[in-house]
Amino acid sequence: MTSSASASPQLALADQLLALLRESATEPRQDLQIEALTLAVAADLPVLLWGEPGIGKTAALTQLAAELDLPLTTVIASVHEPSDFSGLPVIGDDPAVQGVPLAPPDWAVRLVRQGRGLLFLDELSTAPPAVQAALLRLVLERRIGSLQLPPGVRIVAAANPRASAADGWELSPPLANRFVHLDWVHDAQVVVRGLGGVWPRAELPRLDPERLSAAVEFARRAVCGLLTVRPELTHRLPSAEARRGKAWPSPRSWEMTMRLLAFGSAAGSSREVLSLLVRGTVGDGPGLELLAAMDRMDLPDPESLLAAPAAAVLPARGDLRQAVLDGVVAAVRSRPTLERWDSAWALMARALESCPPDVLVVPVSTLASLRQDDWEVPELINRFASAMRISRRAERSAALTSAGAGRR
Amino acid sequence: MDTEKLFAARLRAARARPYLATALFAMHVVESSRVPTMAVDRQWRCYVSPAFVDRTPEEELASVWVHEVSHLLRDHARRGDLAMRALDLDGPGDRLRINLAADCEINDDAFGDGLVEPAGAIYPKTLHLEDGQLMEDYLRQFSLGTRYQHLVWLECGSGADGLEREWEFGPDGPDGGHGLSDQERDLVRFRVAQGILGNPGRAPAGWRRWAEEAFHPPQPWRQLLGAAIRSTLAAAGAGEDYSHGRPARRSSSLPGIVLPSLRRRPPRVTVVVDTSGSVSDSELGTALLETAAILHAAGGRRESVSVLSCDAAARAVRQAADGSGWALIGGGGTDLRTGFATALKRRPAPDVIVALTDGQTPWPSTPPPCRTVIGLFPRRFPRTRWNMEGDPDDVPDGPPDWAKVVTLG
Repeated sequence: MTSSASASPQLALADQLLALLRESATEPRQDLQIEALTLAVAADLPVLLWGEPGIGKTAALTQLAAELDLPLTTVIASVHEPSDFSGLPVIGDDPAVQGVPLAPPDWAVRLVRQGRGLLFLDELSTAPPAVQAALLRLVLERRIGSLQLPPGVRIVAAANPRASAADGWELSPPLANRFVHLDWVHDAQVVVRGLGGVWPRAELPRLDPERLSAAVEFARRAVCGLLTVRPELTHRLPSAEARRGKAWPSPRSWEMTMRLLAFGSAAGSSREVLSLLVRGTVGDGPGLELLAAMDRMDLPDPESLLAAPAAAVLPARGDLRQAVLDGVVAAVRSRPTLERWDSAWALMARALESCPPDVLVVPVSTLASLRQDDWEVPELINRFASAMRISRRAERSAALTSAGAGRR
Repeated sequence: MDTEKLFAARLRAARARPYLATALFAMHVVESSRVPTMAVDRQWRCYVSPAFVDRTPEEELASVWVHEVSHLLRDHARRGDLAMRALDLDGPGDRLRINLAADCEINDDAFGDGLVEPAGAIYPKTLHLEDGQLMEDYLRQFSLGTRYQHLVWLECGSGADGLEREWEFGPDGPDGGHGLSDQERDLVRFRVAQGILGNPGRAPAGWRRWAEEAFHPPQPWRQLLGAAIRSTLAAAGAGEDYSHGRPARRSSSLPGIVLPSLRRRPPRVTVVVDTSGSVSDSELGTALLETAAILHAAGGRRESVSVLSCDAAARAVRQAADGSGWALIGGGGTDLRTGFATALKRRPAPDVIVALTDGQTPWPSTPPPCRTVIGLFPRRFPRTRWNMEGDPDDVPDGPPDWAKVVTLG
């Protein structure tokens, strides 16, 4: 809005000052929550931001809308009636012929006319249950009254956690299941930078056209792999009171997870971002199980390691390295040949070059026990002397400890 | 550094506490002469003083490994930050208190069963406190007087108290990605917790409790009870129905048609209180006050709320309207079934029943024709009285699944 010429000079000056205060720039900044939000918006999934009042959810949304070049429509859910979302009945000339259409509110009409936009439903958790029920249809079917929201419209909602919403209703499980839940916390540095005039910029994830089909394959393998082993995770309504109103696993939310994984993988997002998104879609427990399963998927395949031990790349972390080597030993056990056994020793020797020897004790001693009578002990077994010494030392000190405990 | 001794100790620790093995092997060792003993940072690096390794017996080193990894698993850095903020603490002295309190939480059940007690370890009894509490509880119960001057050398790193040290590598350390990211730390914690829950017989009670709460920290019961009661009162059907008593909002758009409007009267709530001997007066008092406050805030009118004391027989039904507080009569055994039956017999019938009980009772076999919230006082062991009266193995069933259950306290 521009100040009119007829305004008093004092007001014009005030306007000028306000305009100066509003001036701000953006800078790209590594920010996990913004990255997660942008990725979910790009994947066209409704996002629900949980955060204390005044924490900058609206500011973040304004930035996002500006960055994506989408007009922002804010609707405060808690001050509306159900009919504002399901439409008000309007009588035409002849109801028996034409029926009674449900008239949508003006903001919905504007949204549809624009064809694209960011719809921000604020204060969702303080909306009464009947309003939430009406919102279900808006969020899931993207319909307001007789209007269908065009595909260019993205939906983001915000809610206050129960602790700070004194009169808050609890989000009903069906509504909660339709959102990607993100906890919105403020980062003091970002706030200070922002008040100083520079806000972090949300950039749309850059999807790599080469990786699209691989991304879909990866996402399907991850989710289906987990649900094959843990079918009970497919659908589990939240039972504990503390978990109500948040994400929970269902076929719908697993499908959303799959879509997020595919987008994240095609955009090369970090595991941190995927972790926020996955846990926010199916809940902490199932989400962590999926992430743990994905970690295992990332581990090198024992057979390819055995095929080329010299070229092997092993994970740096001790526990993961142990898991890989255990897998290699298990592979040798399942099809024991001298060649595979020797190759496994070569792998162990390679692992020993870059990790503490205690990690190797279990796989090395199991591998040693697989020896068949006519197999010659490879020369490089001497390199494991220290690992074996450590093992013996640990046993000896354990014996001392238990002897000491016996004396006491 | 005598790495052989150090790693033999880690192997020893992993064998004594197999459920911690993943976490033990996930730590990355950094040799450092700046630490007095062993210390951990937030990224799960473990800084080790070579001199400390030399002078410490191997079996004690194993115990120190378990101690340090416990700081990381129990997330003392983040919890330390939260506690500092919650208690409005500041400065290195308070960080030392957090380290001490965290040590107490770990050490009260970490050793024994194959692990020796390391020399100089801090126990709750060192600070004249009771065993078996959480860091946050210990923190409130002692201050750093001259009495504890001998403890100031204590140094477990930012992984134990959240304060970053200058000798730590920080999030992007010079060691090229050997530190664990948030997500990796969560996953290691999750694996360890799953391992403990999958085989609970092996781990002591403190670790089992940790595993159960690691990813679902208990929430304050007041909020949960409030949310449960509010959502029950607000649910369709509780005091809400279509009536032709008043014109509907849509009437103006449909002249000549009489539409029913959705009307709401304050829902009638009956609070059934378990006054048997096993529920303490202070527990009941708090829960009842809280319930009354929630009902009041949720818009329930006083005359629509009534309270029923219930032990083996349901007694005095009182309207909440008399304002003089709710005198509860009782003692002895509980049978909440009589309480539910009495509540449902009243006319007009209640829309919502809120039951406050310790759960040591038989439950109605069929769901009552109204919504139910159960506020449950936690009991760790089956009540002795119950056991004496009947079969010792006859532990009462948990609360029924048709009710919303909130654990109080």
